[in-house]
Amino acid sequence: MAATLTRLRPRRSRLVWRNTVAGWSFILPNFVGFALLTLVPVVALFYLAFTNWNVFGAAEWTGSANFRRMWGDASFWTALRNTFYYTVFHIPLTMAAALGLALLLNRKLRGVGFFRTAAFFPYITSIVAIAVVWNQLFSPEYGPVNAFLRAVGVDNPPGWTTSADWSMPAVIIVGTWREMGYYMLLFLAGLQTIPAQLYEAAKIDGATSWQRFRHVTIPGLRHTTFFVVVMLTIGSFKVFDLILVMTEGGPGQSTLVLSQYIYQKGFVENQFGYASAVSIVLFAICFGVTGIQFWINNRRES
Amino acid sequence: MKRAIPAVVSTAMALTLVLAGCGGEDEPVDPNAPVTITLAGWSLSSTPEFKTLADGFKATRPNVTVELKEYDAANYDTQMIADLAAGTAPDVYVLKNLRNFYTYQSGGQLLDVSEAGSALGSLPALAPYQVDGKTYAVPYRQDSWVLYYNKELFDKAKVAHPDGSWTWDDYVAAAKQLTAGLKGAGSTATGAYQHVWQSTAQGFALAQTPGADLLSGDLAYLKPYYQRSLDLQAAGAQPTFGTANTNKLSYQVQFGKQQSAMLLMGTWYVATLLNQRKSGEADTFEWGIAPAPQYDRSTAGTSATPVTFGDPTGMGINPKISKSKVAAAQAFLAYVAGEEAGKALAGIGITPARASDPITETLFALDGVPGDDLSKFAYGTHEIRPENPVSNHTAGMQNVLNDLHSAVMSDSKGLDEAITEAQARAKNEVLTQ
Repeated sequence: MAATLTRLRPRRSRLVWRNTVAGWSFILPNFVGFALLTLVPVVALFYLAFTNWNVFGAAEWTGSANFRRMWGDASFWTALRNTFYYTVFHIPLTMAAALGLALLLNRKLRGVGFFRTAAFFPYITSIVAIAVVWNQLFSPEYGPVNAFLRAVGVDNPPGWTTSADWSMPAVIIVGTWREMGYYMLLFLAGLQTIPAQLYEAAKIDGATSWQRFRHVTIPGLRHTTFFVVVMLTIGSFKVFDLILVMTEGGPGQSTLVLSQYIYQKGFVENQFGYASAVSIVLFAICFGVTGIQFWINNRRES
Repeated sequence: MKRAIPAVVSTAMALTLVLAGCGGEDEPVDPNAPVTITLAGWSLSSTPEFKTLADGFKATRPNVTVELKEYDAANYDTQMIADLAAGTAPDVYVLKNLRNFYTYQSGGQLLDVSEAGSALGSLPALAPYQVDGKTYAVPYRQDSWVLYYNKELFDKAKVAHPDGSWTWDDYVAAAKQLTAGLKGAGSTATGAYQHVWQSTAQGFALAQTPGADLLSGDLAYLKPYYQRSLDLQAAGAQPTFGTANTNKLSYQVQFGKQQSAMLLMGTWYVATLLNQRKSGEADTFEWGIAPAPQYDRSTAGTSATPVTFGDPTGMGINPKISKSKVAAAQAFLAYVAGEEAGKALAGIGITPARASDPITETLFALDGVPGDDLSKFAYGTHEIRPENPVSNHTAGMQNVLNDLHSAVMSDSKGLDEAITEAQARAKNEVLTQ
């Protein structure tokens, strides 16, 4: 017995080694790119955040100076607040819209392919084009949105992207509209995995359609929902392009979000050390929130 | 991904520093040996000035070839900073405005070009590029802000043409009269158009108000300029900031298609307007330029020197240039800021840094440029103050002021409140950092 084992071990470890090498070689092309273009810079970022690097010259170690500065930086807090504002509304709205669309388009319906494509369209449309068109739709004096509101009796329709109070809702609406198609697709895929027998059984037991939704569809979609929530959370915290092309953070600082603040400090004012420190805070927030979501999900699972 | 770029840049920079240590050329230089220097430019197909300068220099120094390297116009400074840090930037590069001059100069990215600078004689636009008695770049363009006006719309509204004596109150009154007069004549054009840029209010306020200082932290000087803008848009004499912003109005269309009778804009628009008239993108109409409206009577009128603003566009030399090319690059800098290059630039409608009568005449000889005396006066006589005073706080201050601009012009915040807030932010986030 012992003799067999010793004969087997080297062969098996060679097999494991060979499999590992084969596995690594498959992911190598992607990993090299990832390491070179993402991993190394991200590691460097953690160092830069503690320096006063301004692109040219040496990065002097300044310890926690950047973080202390951030503590007293009103613009940073504004950006943080706005980021949470966007996230808190964008996640539930997009989830609800995406799930609603998925349920609607999950039935046997003439032309369902067309409607699914139509709902997915905003996601693949150029964001700059979206920003230009939506800005025109939202135009306070001549835009169709306000023309419609006036027609239905709203006397003082909001100024949307030209008003500090309404610019964030405007951006959230466009963000939701743009992304709901993508998440609808994920929900549609999730809906296909729920066995039809469950619905049949529920029907036979006399469950109403609301009860079937509540007790069959929702639990059946749990894994999809978790994935969607995590992706939406990360996506919302790091929202950048949409805001940059729609409002550039304005009017005033009403739509300034963290990633745009990082861009401004880093690439406009060349304070890369400080920008890196803000990036770390954004990273920590994303990491923390996602961690909590995983923890909750695991607890429910067990 | 955005966060990744600085680190890549720093890694690349470290590598170049190691590699650069191995070089070192100290051979004697033959002044007539063929040399090629590289020059940064943007949007080469639609911006002919770089080729004009390269060709013009080749005519005076046949052994030197200037090779153009194209950058993206909108991201020029970001790309140039990355290339400089990585050591791959061209030998000679353009400083688009003064906002980033401090970054380049203090970062050691500009060679001392006092030699080329001293050959230029007196050139007011040279001063911002001088630090501690040394010159780090030379200006080749010096645009300034003037008032463009549509003579036909003035006549239609029965309003007297500008005579060069306007203060801002005269401008506001004229804009309102024009709007009313044009409406009476059945036209929907507005009296004025104020583009969405912060400089349309802040540039004039900073240049003209006595004692105004961007870096003092006291921003009260902005107040009257914003009051007038808000007054004009509330009266309907110019499209509102909200409309201009959400509909992405272009000032070229607004003035060129006769939607507005007056437009405050930099002198670069002369070349654009001429081209657009040819291509049909702009209507053909009688137009003229007048000095920008003034803070008070003391600088108004054709016997005085009106005050306006504008940043020079300059060129500097990358310190990583090989030693054998420095002399040729210095000669190129002396050429671009000189009289001859000035005429060549004026010939394509561009305002060179050097102001002289022959240069003004070259520009006014172009087809489509108005020939009246006031236009010539406005183009040739003025005191130009920089929009971006050179300092390490300028970029930060301009960002704070840009937020103020959008908050005030969109009526999101009261003027006093916005100024108080901007002052607090300037003190807390910029001037003490």
